[in-house]
Amino acid sequence: MLAYLVRRLWQTIPTLIGVVLLVFLLFNWVGGDPAYLLAGKISNPEQIESIRRQLGVDQPAYVQLWLFVQQIASGDFGTSWSTNEQVSEIFATRLGPSLTVLVPLLVIDTMLAMAAAMLVAYLRGSLTDRLVMIGCTIGQSISILVYIIVFQYLLAYRLGWFPVQGWGANFLENIFVYSLLPIFVGVIVSLAPDTRLYRSFFLDEINQDYVRTARAKGLSEMRVIWVHVLRNASIPIITNVMIQLPGLLAGAFLIERFFSIPGIGREVLLAVERSDFPVIKAVTIYVAIATMVTNLLADLLYKAVDPRVQLK
Amino acid sequence: MNPNHLARSQVRAESPGLWVLAWRRFCYDRVGLISFDIVLFFVALMAASATGLIASDWSIEVGVSHAPPTFMGPADASARITTGAAPPESAMSARETEGRNSDGVDPLAEILAEIRGANRSGARDVAIVDPLAEVLAQIRAGSSVESATDVRAPTLIFGGDKWGRDVLKKAIKGTETSMFVGLAAATLAALLGTVFGALAGYYGGWIDDFFNWFYSVFTSIPYLLLILAIAAVLNQKGTMTVVLILSLTGWTGIFRLIRAEYMKHKIREYVQAAEALGASDMRRMFVHILPNVSHVVLVQLSLHVVLFIKSEVVLSFLGFGVGVDTVSWGSMLNEAQSELLIGNWWQLAAATLAMAMLVTAFGLLTDALRDALDPKLK
Amino acid sequence: MSPMNSVKAMATGGILLSIRALRVSFRIDRTTTLDAVKDIDFDIPPNSTVALVGESGSGKSVTALAILGLLPRENATVGSGSRILYRDRNLLDVSEREMRKLRGSDISMIFQEPMNSLNPVFTVGFQLAEVLRQHAGLTRTQARSRAVELLAEVGIPEPEEKIGAYPFQLSGGQQQRVMIAMAIACEPRLLIADEPTTALDVTIQKQILELIADLQKRRGMSVLFITHDLAVVGEIADYVIVMREGTIREQGPVDQIFEAPLDDYTQALLLCRPHLARRPKRLPVIDDFLNHGPGTVRDVPERRRGLRGDEQIVLEAHHLGKSFYSRLGLFGQREFKAVRNVSFSLAKGKTLGVVGESGSGKTTVGLMLMRLHVASSGQVIFDGKDILALSPREAMPYKRRIQIVFQNPYSSLNPRFTIGQILTEPMTIHGIGADATQRRDMAYVLLEKVGLAGASFFKYPHEFSGGQRQRIAIARCLTMQPEVLICDESVSALDVSVQAQVLNLLQDLQDEYGMSYIFISHDLAVVKYMADQVMVLSEGEVVEIANSDEIYLNPQHPYTKKLLSSIPRGWHSRVPAT
Repeated sequence: MLAYLVRRLWQTIPTLIGVVLLVFLLFNWVGGDPAYLLAGKISNPEQIESIRRQLGVDQPAYVQLWLFVQQIASGDFGTSWSTNEQVSEIFATRLGPSLTVLVPLLVIDTMLAMAAAMLVAYLRGSLTDRLVMIGCTIGQSISILVYIIVFQYLLAYRLGWFPVQGWGANFLENIFVYSLLPIFVGVIVSLAPDTRLYRSFFLDEINQDYVRTARAKGLSEMRVIWVHVLRNASIPIITNVMIQLPGLLAGAFLIERFFSIPGIGREVLLAVERSDFPVIKAVTIYVAIATMVTNLLADLLYKAVDPRVQLK
Repeated sequence: MNPNHLARSQVRAESPGLWVLAWRRFCYDRVGLISFDIVLFFVALMAASATGLIASDWSIEVGVSHAPPTFMGPADASARITTGAAPPESAMSARETEGRNSDGVDPLAEILAEIRGANRSGARDVAIVDPLAEVLAQIRAGSSVESATDVRAPTLIFGGDKWGRDVLKKAIKGTETSMFVGLAAATLAALLGTVFGALAGYYGGWIDDFFNWFYSVFTSIPYLLLILAIAAVLNQKGTMTVVLILSLTGWTGIFRLIRAEYMKHKIREYVQAAEALGASDMRRMFVHILPNVSHVVLVQLSLHVVLFIKSEVVLSFLGFGVGVDTVSWGSMLNEAQSELLIGNWWQLAAATLAMAMLVTAFGLLTDALRDALDPKLK
Repeated sequence: MSPMNSVKAMATGGILLSIRALRVSFRIDRTTTLDAVKDIDFDIPPNSTVALVGESGSGKSVTALAILGLLPRENATVGSGSRILYRDRNLLDVSEREMRKLRGSDISMIFQEPMNSLNPVFTVGFQLAEVLRQHAGLTRTQARSRAVELLAEVGIPEPEEKIGAYPFQLSGGQQQRVMIAMAIACEPRLLIADEPTTALDVTIQKQILELIADLQKRRGMSVLFITHDLAVVGEIADYVIVMREGTIREQGPVDQIFEAPLDDYTQALLLCRPHLARRPKRLPVIDDFLNHGPGTVRDVPERRRGLRGDEQIVLEAHHLGKSFYSRLGLFGQREFKAVRNVSFSLAKGKTLGVVGESGSGKTTVGLMLMRLHVASSGQVIFDGKDILALSPREAMPYKRRIQIVFQNPYSSLNPRFTIGQILTEPMTIHGIGADATQRRDMAYVLLEKVGLAGASFFKYPHEFSGGQRQRIAIARCLTMQPEVLICDESVSALDVSVQAQVLNLLQDLQDEYGMSYIFISHDLAVVKYMADQVMVLSEGEVVEIANSDEIYLNPQHPYTKKLLSSIPRGWHSRVPAT
């Protein structure tokens, strides 16, 4: 087990190096000298100069790379070019709101999608199944933008059931007042693709031989699906959920923007609009690290669910 | 006479290959056929629009500002602007709308509209001076379109936007943009993903390790974040840029699938037989295995067209997508948000409907393709 | 129970299960339906073993699934007049709830692939206890101890420990025993066994057959045993039903079927399997019976096989070895020796049979000769050179001289190539034939030689049956006129009647071209028929090499003896010697 962990961590190092290189290439090389970009946005020429010095723009590439690596290692990406806040500060304060919306979203979406998928797999071939599937297809074809715009307009602006946007001061208020509509819209948007995906997982399992054996033992169809099939189908479902986890950190850009939720996603969008490189770089690196960690956790979780997995 | 010669001449049997069989299966699927027809229609629309046959005059302001759809009848004249130039479309419009968005409802909207209306209709004795008025007048005089004193239609087929441009034409132009971006980016991504996947899956070893490393680097960063990061860096809009960004980040899904397929097929006996009789690696990869994997590529291509169209819409909405002189459903949706507040729903409806039709058709087509190419009893 | 007694038992009445006018059809796609079972009738008496015999597509498995109501409801339809009578009830009319009460408790079923038939994420104990708690209403503790008893009864060693094991931790034979334990847990009156031993090694098969027979006697239940292997039928059945393409060709007590079969097809099935005692020059095939009558088959002269010792040697293998490595710990490696120190020689125009169970390394040896696996050690001397030591470029001209026919006819031909492309490709690569027309003519000649129509040239593999595809694979090898042909389980995936045809073809080709064969198989009867010399492999090592008659009459090594004694002898072993 220890050997496995060590080997896995060892294997993530090249990936981490790759990500660092990619981000570096993107921002320092392709992005080039930010003076040109910032000219229109920051009026203070000394500020631009200090930024250039920070980045080491006039220095050779490897020095710039080393500066970047130091930043990552220390966790200090400097300050935002637009707001002058410490980037690490930004990240720390914005994480909370993002998670407040996204964790409940992920949980509710997964449970609903699994329930819908199981129901539809049980009724496979029937009219209900086909209608639900077509409904999912149509639902997926409408852009998330439309959902947000329409629901925000109808439910918040017109009917006044929820606040149109904004964020509160304390946790309870946030979760029960401000998060509701964003979570609702988020679930609506992700439900269709997840239902389809989980349905295919369930159907794959239902066609296996061991299901035939379970039926031959005289077990009810409910037990076959809820105990036998579910256990096996949960393996790919877990994969799917784990893959979505790093996305939580990156935040749901659009939802946060429309509902003015001060989360990481909205921060990133603002940063991109203002070409605020430090923020974007930092988020990218953090999220990449988070992805590697969640992949490792996912593998460990497999072992708990699937006894065939040999970790070595 | 050699009986085999007889056989040859008589029975040049029309022998159905797997593609023909799949086509036959496909033809039985009515839903699939209908969606195929719809997709073809959209392709035709794209071609017609691209070559300028239709909707090439989308940017001409032919209707009154916020002209309602014809079936609804003309709007009241009070708060509407009837003549006047459209402010030059600028890069600031996205920010402007964004600014308005983050403020929520603008309680002064109606009052401002009235003021502006009162100002413009007057023509010269205005309190607000337009510093560019003379320049604009020169430009307008130079172009063949006279928009200053034209009569504007009170209604358009599907309504008009803020500047009185025909929403239907914009929707058609948006189709062209999205279809082009979707198809081009998907093709490029499929090409990259297939070649990388083939090499990695077939050769294994360090080649596989390299591509896997490449893949994990790209997938460590969430898709949208990566796109936004690249967009931020490039800071350059344009259709080709969008195509490039999307395909350079979107090849990963196809890569993983094709790699798995190649690994599966490489140990199949027909490939071993090919090796046994002396076929080279290249021959085995592309003459033997690729035809057996092409149906996976096709389905993935179709899926990615949908994915890229949706991504492009989001990008254009945020202002990082296609250029300012190109219409996209995303930019239409951007305008639509503020229009909703004054009760104009038609641009939103047009963009949503067009997109929904195309993406649903593509989605159903993909399902039908899957079933036809790899029939499993449902 | 002796065969005669079983007939008496039947005659005195008390039928356990009765099938009347059963019809089952499947909807393949929108336009085609397949009639899998066409109006069959038969009875299953109590306390006896009924064998349902047939080749693939005969409908035997479908019949079994129909009894338990396990046919896929999406596309299977049971004909309206069909009746399955059990205890005076038509099971086809019974409600789903009632049916579920019967499944697993009155009527149970075991399947062919035990690995796939057990749920991989639950322990053996859980799955066993489940059926006990479902039907017998036992508590968790009660179920657990009963499960341990059952595991012991089916012969699993250390049942207390194995209770907590997962299916993948058990061998194939043990998995099947667990399946049997689950099936008999609630004392069923009828056990349906659908090809339970087909996927197992022959030594394990013997144990499982004995277990089932033992359980049948002890518990007085009936067994419906579905198989394609007549030798197995002869050993265990009281009553035999022969099916072909959805209909019953013949049914009756086992002695009648084997001694005096009435139906052509039954006679053909009985005779076209290679027999251990005889070796006719040509195996009879179904067509011989159906077209010419049985007489033509009886008097075929025998073929002598064996090496005298003075034949020309065409290929020699010295100390072949192959190891596979897997990761262990942080830096270590685990070595698995698939092949160790295998040496043999192949005489010109003769056949070397390679026999072994799964894991013996026999397929690996074949693949090493073809350089499809890189040998870890050893040499193969062919035409004066060690072909394993050659570089890929140098090895090219040798590729056409040694060829291989694989096991699986469904995956050895590229589904996207036409037959013509499959046949002309090797010619193009090796520069045989001056131009495309000449190559095409050569392909036609070969198609004819393997017994296929010339029009096959333009067709695709999916239009052909398994046996036909193997012929195409053989024709593909022939395009290069090889001197050595390796047959790697080439007939193992084929039905018995088709097997006979392909074996005859291979023999004809050897007689005509003088090719030397290396015939790899787990099927001892087939190997004895085809081979001059037999090499027995076990766990990668050569256990014994001798002339084939010698090996079968006079095996030296204990493993060989064990292997030979596991072969089901068939009906004749049950009849007391006169």
